Amino acid sequence: MNQFSNVVRAEAFKVVRKRRLYVLAALYWVLLPALALVVARVLHTTLTGSFADDGRVVDQTLQLFASPLGLVRLALAGPAYTSPTLYIVAVTLVAALLIGEERSQNMWKTVLVVQPSRVAVMTGKVFVALAALATLMAGAAVSGFLFGLVGTTFLPTRLEGDWLPLLGLYGLQAAQLLAPVLLAFLLITLVRSGVLGVVMVLFLPGLLETLYAVINTISQVQPLNRFNAVFQAIRLQAAWKALPEYFFTANLYAPGRAPAAAWFKELSAGEAGDLGPLAGLLGTGLTLGHSALVMAGYALLFGVLLYWWFLRRDVD
Amino acid sequence: MIAISANGLTKRYGRAAAVSDLSFEVTQGEIVGFLGPNGAGKTTTLRMLAGLVKPSAGTCTVLGAAVPGPTLRRVGTMIEEPSFYPYLTGRDNLTHAALLHGDVPRSRVDEVLEFVQLQDAARKRVRAYSQGMRQRLALARALLWRPQVLLLDEPTNGLDPTGIAEFRESLRAVATEGATVLVSSHILAEVQKLVDRVLAIDKGVLRFDGTLTQLLNRMDGQRVRYSVRATDQAALAAALTALGYDFEPRGSDGAEAQVPRDRADDLVSDLAAHGVKVVAAAVHGDDLEAAYLRLVDPAGRPA
Repeated sequence: MNQFSNVVRAEAFKVVRKRRLYVLAALYWVLLPALALVVARVLHTTLTGSFADDGRVVDQTLQLFASPLGLVRLALAGPAYTSPTLYIVAVTLVAALLIGEERSQNMWKTVLVVQPSRVAVMTGKVFVALAALATLMAGAAVSGFLFGLVGTTFLPTRLEGDWLPLLGLYGLQAAQLLAPVLLAFLLITLVRSGVLGVVMVLFLPGLLETLYAVINTISQVQPLNRFNAVFQAIRLQAAWKALPEYFFTANLYAPGRAPAAAWFKELSAGEAGDLGPLAGLLGTGLTLGHSALVMAGYALLFGVLLYWWFLRRDVD
Repeated sequence: MIAISANGLTKRYGRAAAVSDLSFEVTQGEIVGFLGPNGAGKTTTLRMLAGLVKPSAGTCTVLGAAVPGPTLRRVGTMIEEPSFYPYLTGRDNLTHAALLHGDVPRSRVDEVLEFVQLQDAARKRVRAYSQGMRQRLALARALLWRPQVLLLDEPTNGLDPTGIAEFRESLRAVATEGATVLVSSHILAEVQKLVDRVLAIDKGVLRFDGTLTQLLNRMDGQRVRYSVRATDQAALAAALTALGYDFEPRGSDGAEAQVPRDRADDLVSDLAAHGVKVVAAAVHGDDLEAAYLRLVDPAGRPA
């Protein structure tokens, strides 16, 4: 336990001295809510009372997106819809700092002599990575709340809402970042290059999922229908169709994207009980329990591979 | 007490053996030179002793415990080119190492910075350090937790003659506190003023294990050239004459003497018996180098 806490203290000391994390935090904590407030102000001044404001829809929209609760929700959901997502950018940044630099600066030989317990070293680094990501998210929530409070002074927004489920989504999203952290650590360790590892983390899951889509499309083209025949023959058709439910990306962002479904339901005044195809487009079709289980499975797989490789490898 | 031991240590990369069946022991407090040409297997051996590389066969122990093990926390290392986080200052790099280790008081960081004379550059980022400053900072880091064993791999690489002399003095000061030092080099002249004993390795095989005098005894010649400095040059000259050794004065306080090989070990005590206070005495580098080259290249390279 002592060794673990030593690693945590040392890595935290290093992380807080890395300037690029502050740049990311500034973008996440300030730019996003400030931009939202500017857009809300423009909407408020130009549309309130106009023909588009039937039934005070502008006020409702502002309450959804620019109230304290709305901005905190935006801080959770917004980063899950950028491309690449802000979450994965933060994961790769932290992984590059904690694992990539040990390789690029040739520091493993120093770190593992100072602290020979490789289990403690890797576990401490994973813990600090998750803590850094959780801090980024918590900071975004606090910042969203504060910007929302400022917004109440010049917008028709109120400090009200159901906070507890939203905070639960924050916690779940932060916990689910364990899997991409372990994947990033694993890839950087395997390919022995911080840059290549980061590139692979950014593109590998998407690449595999695109490959699935391509194969799926090809298999449905008539002249090549033997694909289907093969799947039918080995009774994999159902599994093949169910595969997207286990995709890394779709499950990873399920908690972050959950507010999007709530927004659309609230905007349609409860008429759209089922979002239908829109759920797939928004990435909100998976239940939170399912996504948590799938991401725990990924974390276990990546964790086992990472520790197995790291504990037995020689340090050049 | 045995501080370092290697028993049949072997490391293979594919079919090639970097180190073959290497066995030796270093007792507590010894300063041992680990010599060999580039690619001889020195770094691989030090990496195995530091727990960074797993041996293909054989075992090694440090401070009585198998490697890798808890005693590695009492070892300081400088393996190959020193590495640091370039965006951190010198002091922050040491603080990071101190936190990672866990048993280092904060005040110790300033102590080691002062010891290697880097206190004025402590707030500079390491990316702005010269090679010599990085070497000294690496030594400071290796000394942070007052290690009982120091494993140093080519620690003077890239240093100018002044830097090498300063580094040697720093290391000597550490050794006087009782640390065991295993220092590798491919240049005998670099370590001969420091070490008590030499392990010579070539192509992964141990070629020689003994004192510098024993290394000299493998020479063909009957005499060894000694450079001696004393507090009183006249007394030194008189003593060398009385002992029957040929010599030539050097500078204001020294002489270069031709000493019979079988008396080389006793030169300092013989001079002391004649009332000479010896300040420094070292075998002439060229002689040691010739003996060493004969070890690693029996066909004979020019000395």
